[in-house]
Amino acid sequence: MLKVEHVTKYYGDFLAVDDLSFTVKEGEIFGLLGVNGAGKTTTFRMIMGLLDPTKGSVTLDGKKIDYSITDKIGFLTEERSLLTKLTVYDQCIFYGTLKGMSKQKIEERLDMLLEKFSISQYKHKKIKELSKGNQQKIQFITAILNEPKLLILDEPFSGLDPFNIELFKKEILELSKAGSMIIFSSHRMDHVELFCKKLVVLLHGKSVLEGYLKDIKEDYQKQNIFIQGEFDVEEVKKIKGVLAVNYENEYIVKIESQEVVPLVFKKLKDATITKFVVEEASLNEIFIEKVGEEYEK
Amino acid sequence: MRSKLFFLTGMSLKRKIKTKWFVLANLLLCLGIVGIFNINSIIKFFGGDFDEPIQIYVLDETNKSYAILKEQIHAMDEGYYGEDSNTYEVLPYTEEEDITSFIQGESKKYAFILKKDDEHVLDVTLMSDGYIDTVDYQLLSTAINNTKTTLATNESNIPLEEVNKIVGQVDIKREILDETKKTEDENTGMIMKTVFPMVILPFFMLTIFLVQMIGAEVNDEKTTRGMEIIISNVSAKTHFTSKVLAGNFFVLLQGGLLIAYVFVGFIIKNLLSSNHLFTGIDTVIGGTVSKVFESSFASQLAYVIPLSLVLMILTFVAYSLLAGILASITTNTEDFQQLQTPIMIILLVGYYLAIMASTFKGALFIHILSYVPLISAILSPSLLVIGQVGIIDVIISIGITILFDYLLIHFGLKIYKVGILNYSSEGLWKKMFKALKQK
Repeated sequence: MLKVEHVTKYYGDFLAVDDLSFTVKEGEIFGLLGVNGAGKTTTFRMIMGLLDPTKGSVTLDGKKIDYSITDKIGFLTEERSLLTKLTVYDQCIFYGTLKGMSKQKIEERLDMLLEKFSISQYKHKKIKELSKGNQQKIQFITAILNEPKLLILDEPFSGLDPFNIELFKKEILELSKAGSMIIFSSHRMDHVELFCKKLVVLLHGKSVLEGYLKDIKEDYQKQNIFIQGEFDVEEVKKIKGVLAVNYENEYIVKIESQEVVPLVFKKLKDATITKFVVEEASLNEIFIEKVGEEYEK
Repeated sequence: MRSKLFFLTGMSLKRKIKTKWFVLANLLLCLGIVGIFNINSIIKFFGGDFDEPIQIYVLDETNKSYAILKEQIHAMDEGYYGEDSNTYEVLPYTEEEDITSFIQGESKKYAFILKKDDEHVLDVTLMSDGYIDTVDYQLLSTAINNTKTTLATNESNIPLEEVNKIVGQVDIKREILDETKKTEDENTGMIMKTVFPMVILPFFMLTIFLVQMIGAEVNDEKTTRGMEIIISNVSAKTHFTSKVLAGNFFVLLQGGLLIAYVFVGFIIKNLLSSNHLFTGIDTVIGGTVSKVFESSFASQLAYVIPLSLVLMILTFVAYSLLAGILASITTNTEDFQQLQTPIMIILLVGYYLAIMASTFKGALFIHILSYVPLISAILSPSLLVIGQVGIIDVIISIGITILFDYLLIHFGLKIYKVGILNYSSEGLWKKMFKALKQK
């Protein structure tokens, strides 16, 4: 289990991370969210042992993360961290060996992963000759080459088309099933929502929202009703507890809590309605509201 | 971690050596060096006017000067251009045609018109179509003067023994009071002053290779953020050590290759000229090197070479440490290229001081600078060769360079650790000073 306990990091007088705590169990996918400069990269660097926390500790299976256990960790950075003058093969041999893998093992895993991502033909091509999307695939392959126990993915879907995003998702879920702990950061809340059971939202280095996604959504009472049909929009807006009515191919009625649903339903009983679906608020909405509130403070 | 250090070192070397640019650069270096050592043969191979001897026609109206002049010119030719030289061909002018029109339009034909002169023994006119080369003019001038002296002494009935006494050179008996110095090495010492700066030129070149290699690699890893992956798997210390080791192995390999190219050049020269091994480049340098090897300087080289090598290797280490530290604090290749300029100036200072050392004998300033790391590798052996410092001084320079290397490792590593993961030049010096204070 990865344990981040009361971690604080100062750069001079600047507080980058403020008393952050969370745990990631085996097989769990954990989301670390936040706007730019929220402290995500600093947190990743502290987990990787690249930076020492000013206060607090980071442990993996009870051991402080140092060079004796980094072989078990995979790291995909937000920016391309590939040496573009090397070939795909040389790059994988380079990073794989740094992870303590034998050449034979690297070659086996590399062939398998290249096949999986349909880029076997680029094995001996220089990385700089590959497209952005294929470079991202190589970066992902180098991060999972060692079948890491802890995998840190900082914006893994950057530069990928929807088809390749699906390929990545599949692989991440497979790793999770195999017991890897995965920490995931993305600006795309739909990706986080799809993957992460647990998350923490950072703002100015401080956690503003944390816990299991299910609990967060339950605690966040606001919901959306998706309606298709003909009805008096102004009448619906007047219902107590209705926050807003928007139209995007269909009506989206934003309500304060689940208790408002029967009131809306009652109002529409005489109207011609073909769709009436109640959904929890999206993580994106929760994120914008929570972060927005704190952002303006 | 040790195996990762060796792997990183090997990887760095591989990234430098297994490139077509390294092969191409070495191919050009090899061709250049071999070419320089065989430049005479190359020039001769393509031919030109120099192949034809200069024909010197002598219109001897004295009827007794031609044979003497011919002998004198031949002696000058052999003395200056070597025994087999055939630079000048001396011929009597027997044509019926006027000599002026005979020479006109002929760049390789000169004419001596010799007439009897009661006052100056000989009245001489040297005729040519255009300008005469300075060296040719001096040789011909000396030959005609010697001819005049011979003619004059023959005519004055002075006994031959007396003539020899008059024209013979004064025998100077050289005495050096310092018993450790031999008179026969005096000229060789003078020669070494000019030869040694040439020997240290490759050091200058290799240092630039070294600084560029380390800087480019660290910057490449930093700018691609590959550094984050590397440093998350090996410590900054291991990474730094691997760069220093790889850089030094590279310059030793490149240095070895340069020496090999020199030998290839010598061997080819030898095969072409079937002469003494050290007759390369031209007779002047070939002769100089031969003289050095034949003198007692050869025995001095037994300690000059090892001491110089030790000092050079330690200095390479110092430069590689410095390059690594500087590269770690820069955020892009352009910044590092700017930082290379002061390094090159330091090298140049050492080089110029080494050349100037023989002019400013006993200069305290140069003597003190010979202990200063980074330039001592050039300056100290140069002063040792010309006898301005002793072995002890070079050993002190070695000791100071070891201390300097230690300080660079001790403090530089602290900067390196922070620098390699720093991507912003904002507050850079503050960050570095803070890094220095860390335990």
